[in-house]
Amino acid sequence: MTRKWYHIAKAEFFVLTAGMRKHRKAMAGLMFALAAIWAIYLAPLIINTFIQLIIPMETIRTLLMVMFPGLMRTVMLFLWALLLLFPLSFSLQEIKIGQWEIFLSNNVKTRDILTGTFVGKIPMYGLIVMVFAPLLISPFMLAFEVSLLGQAVVYTVIALMVLSTIWLSNFITAMVQARLGDSARGNDIAKALSVVIALIVIVPMYGLMFFMPQLSDILGMNAFLVMPFTWPADLVSWAAITFNGIGLTGSQILGFGAILQLDMLTSALLMAAFGLAFVPIAITAADRVFTISAGVRTETVTTVGRENIFIRGVRRVAKGPFGALTVVSLKDYGRKAQNLSKIFYGVVLAIILPILMQQMSIMDGDVFEVETLLPMITIMIGVVGVFPFAGTGFLESKDQLWIIRSAPKGASRFMRARIATGFMMAVPLSLAPTLAMTFMFGLTPLTAIQIFITSFVVVCGAVMVAMGVTAQNPNYEDTKSSAHQTVLMTSMMLTQFTLIGPLFATIFLDIGLGFNLFGFMESIFGISGFYVVEMLLGPTALLLVGGLMLYLGTRSLGKVEV
Amino acid sequence: MSNNGISIQTLGLNKTFGAIQAVRNLDLEVASGGRFGFLGPNGAGKTTTVRMLSGLMKPTSGTATVLGMDIVQKAGEIKSMTGLLPETPGLYSKLSAIEFLEFIGALNNLEGESLRRRIDSLLTMLGLESRQDDLLDTYSSGMKQKVLVASTILHEPRLVFLDEPTSRLDPSAGALVKDLIHVLAEETETTFFICTHQTSFAEDACDIVGIINDGVLVTVGSPEEIVASTKTKDLEDAYLKIVGGQIDRSKLLAWR
Repeated sequence: MTRKWYHIAKAEFFVLTAGMRKHRKAMAGLMFALAAIWAIYLAPLIINTFIQLIIPMETIRTLLMVMFPGLMRTVMLFLWALLLLFPLSFSLQEIKIGQWEIFLSNNVKTRDILTGTFVGKIPMYGLIVMVFAPLLISPFMLAFEVSLLGQAVVYTVIALMVLSTIWLSNFITAMVQARLGDSARGNDIAKALSVVIALIVIVPMYGLMFFMPQLSDILGMNAFLVMPFTWPADLVSWAAITFNGIGLTGSQILGFGAILQLDMLTSALLMAAFGLAFVPIAITAADRVFTISAGVRTETVTTVGRENIFIRGVRRVAKGPFGALTVVSLKDYGRKAQNLSKIFYGVVLAIILPILMQQMSIMDGDVFEVETLLPMITIMIGVVGVFPFAGTGFLESKDQLWIIRSAPKGASRFMRARIATGFMMAVPLSLAPTLAMTFMFGLTPLTAIQIFITSFVVVCGAVMVAMGVTAQNPNYEDTKSSAHQTVLMTSMMLTQFTLIGPLFATIFLDIGLGFNLFGFMESIFGISGFYVVEMLLGPTALLLVGGLMLYLGTRSLGKVEV
Repeated sequence: MSNNGISIQTLGLNKTFGAIQAVRNLDLEVASGGRFGFLGPNGAGKTTTVRMLSGLMKPTSGTATVLGMDIVQKAGEIKSMTGLLPETPGLYSKLSAIEFLEFIGALNNLEGESLRRRIDSLLTMLGLESRQDDLLDTYSSGMKQKVLVASTILHEPRLVFLDEPTSRLDPSAGALVKDLIHVLAEETETTFFICTHQTSFAEDACDIVGIINDGVLVTVGSPEEIVASTKTKDLEDAYLKIVGGQIDRSKLLAWR
């Protein structure tokens, strides 16, 4: 009998290793061998050397031991969220339900599909864990001088946690994909979800940090104990304590027991129960999940209605072909859930940033003054401006580019309309943090206006950079392509460095040539004038760089292919 | 810009991509108001030729004029006087048919009531009036192709490049496009340069056919002339004889 799940897993593995297909087996073997050497020998060695360089282990040991149980829970929460949501976000970017049709038409059982896709994913995520887990675990293994057997137990626990989480993630991914279906709308929603999924991690993590004590009060117990990531974390802690080589005393072990609350056996049982429970659940539910029914795949016809007041307003202000192109561009951008989710993501980030900065100031014991943080806030707002416009929401396919190029000056007309769209989208992106800061920090109207204008200029500059860079290397909505990653990284780095650039230039001028530019500016503009100029330097540079990128992008987009 | 009744003229046109020679020494003339069919297998160089002639791609060597203008020097002018239907639909999924055509019109400097009227007429003619406000991502591939056909002729180009115009259309829509080509060519002197795999379509829609294989223009003539010169019964047989691809019946079961 053929093991169908095995062939599905093999195909998944082939897809993952397509980049090294000529020497697939040798390369995969080499990578795992290197990862093993890294995990067992290199990582502990490097971390030990690093720790010894800063503070001797004898000094830091107590601190590491005290931190250990709590930090292990945080580390596991991070790993759990990463393993659960990263594959989900990744697969949502491209719904591949068409493959299921092939499987099902070839009489493959649903459990084989689930098992095959699960096993196929293990090598890649396993490798990621083998590389990163030692970095997080090693300091504690060194502090407790855990024996080899103990280390084996620790890594086994982590491996089991990874396996159960990938299984769960695989199941959720399949379920979401099947429900959304292989329709244009489903794909659109999936892409939107893949963006906002990060918020699904960020918001509960903040929630855990801020509201865990209150939740514990309500539950009448430590709320961490009901979280699935706590059980493997505590099991790792127990393994380190049990197999320690530093001779922990009975009272010390009792102290750890009081912190951890659940004993080793209970933690192990809970972890195993949670992991194993989802195996029958997923296999039983598979038949329901993988049914590609007419209901799922039936397309919903979306008919456009009358133009709204905003679009009519744009038409009235911008007449002629430019206005028409801008309106079309706005509609095209605004109707894609993926783009809207990016705007939403940007707005949420823009609101969170000032709150974070305020928290940091309070934690440092500083007096919070929003004005002094403005340059820092503008740098962060730059990221918010880049994210919704770099790579995606530009051109859907190369054929679309052919159509645009086939019109006289098509590329530059298209770019002008896209930029106008970006500038309009910059309004909510700059208004959101301004309003948030105004209400939270009780700013004066003048400061609020100042923040809004600065934010708007920075977002517009970032939009110009993002669109210019994208036009030079369009990725045609393929968010998994290297072009997309390059565009996103280039746009981010360019925006950030341009905003920080003048500051660095001043430092270099001072150190290199002994010329104090800030002092010089202060002598000309006075102290208040100097603050204004200092704040405007970065955004002005960004507008210049953005303009240059736009010029290069338009030229590249309209160029005749050679 | 006088072109003496010739819309397209190429002389030793070549295009290479690294080691691959996509088009070799293409010498071709297409008369104004003519319907030229460019037949050839996949990868023969049809699309590359269209991209060069429409000013989207530079040739490696050789010269060509379109509507009397050099394809390298006057690419911008050529674009304003020609229309291009690409091989695969590059539509905006989240625009309706009307909005997409408005976009194409604006790219070609058209606007206002006259553009609206033209869009309405084209969509009605192509049988899309009942779906004209629906988003294009809910259209079938044939409907998308119709929208693209409308976008290609929207600005009344003097020369239209059609790359596989009927490959996704049902027979009645294919016949409609064929009739549209005939009417536009006869009534408005529009020249058509049509790349296709479909020999029957080329036989019906085109007055002159050129067959390209492996980048080389193998033969040019009216469908009747090509059929007569190859001593075959129709254009499909002539095409298979020239390009190759006729397989012995016994070989068709040899894989079992």
